[in-house]
Amino acid sequence: MDEIKKIAPELSKINKENPFGTPDNYFDDFSARLQMRIEAEKQATVPRKIKFRDILKPALGLAASFAIIFMLVYVPLKTFIPDQSTEVAALSDDYDEAGILDYIENIDESSFISLLNEDENEDVFSDDDLALYVTANFSDYEIYEKLENE
Amino acid sequence: MPDADQHIIADLKDESKRDLAFHVLVKTYQERLYWHIRKIVLNHDDADDVLQNTFMKVWRSVDKFREESSLYTWLYRIATNESITFLNSKKRKSLMPLGEENEYLMENLSSDPYFEGDEIQLKLQKAIARLPEKQRLVFNMKYFDEMKYDEMAKVLDTSVGALKASYHHAAKKIEEYIRTTD
Repeated sequence: MDEIKKIAPELSKINKENPFGTPDNYFDDFSARLQMRIEAEKQATVPRKIKFRDILKPALGLAASFAIIFMLVYVPLKTFIPDQSTEVAALSDDYDEAGILDYIENIDESSFISLLNEDENEDVFSDDDLALYVTANFSDYEIYEKLENE
Repeated sequence: MPDADQHIIADLKDESKRDLAFHVLVKTYQERLYWHIRKIVLNHDDADDVLQNTFMKVWRSVDKFREESSLYTWLYRIATNESITFLNSKKRKSLMPLGEENEYLMENLSSDPYFEGDEIQLKLQKAIARLPEKQRLVFNMKYFDEMKYDEMAKVLDTSVGALKASYHHAAKKIEEYIRTTD
């Protein structure tokens, strides 16, 4: 203090009092406010505990999505596709290759042709319809010439 | 180191007692650290922010405290560094030109609703605010806190001789300001 009196006499005349103030109860509340900040930081730094449900959730979501897609695709197909094709599909699933060949050998020629043309032409012709069509569109000579060439 | 401080440190390093020990530490040192910080940043709101930052840093780094210095010296050093970091950050944000850094402190002082001093006290604080950073720290710690030079040397990591010189220069500058300013 003597040093200050020597080098700064005007300064040494000023009362050495604290000119600053604080809000009421500042120091009483400070500890609680600080504690809140520490708790917030603790919450932020501690990794959240991973629950089994959290792992299962995406898997369940994925399974549900597949189920919905399956229902949206399979049910309309099942409803709108004709029964015959379903039966053919079932046959192809159930029989082996030899069984299929036996099945083909046992059907008559016209049934086989109509089966092959089924996708292109849904009209089914009988032998009589075919004979009627030939006699109406071709002359006897044309029919004879065709048969002779073969 | 006082027994009470040793007890606090031991409890802080014990996981099961840490929360309570930290509460005791805050209650013990909050006022002393607040006034140290307040004299550096001048404004109450800033001092509150810096005091919280100081204790948060203590909380995070209590395991690193190697007891080479006293607890109070360690806390004082953290508080001083946090205050300087805070002021530098404020200066950068306010884009003050070089040589006008202390204008921020002047504004802080004038706008603080919790300044309760008279005109001569305000004049003294303005004179201190104009000092270079190191001289301002040394003057506050010596003149108001009456801290010993060797303790101050540990806090500021500076030699006692350099601290004495800083204090001398600071006092002369303040005297000059008080005498020449109305």
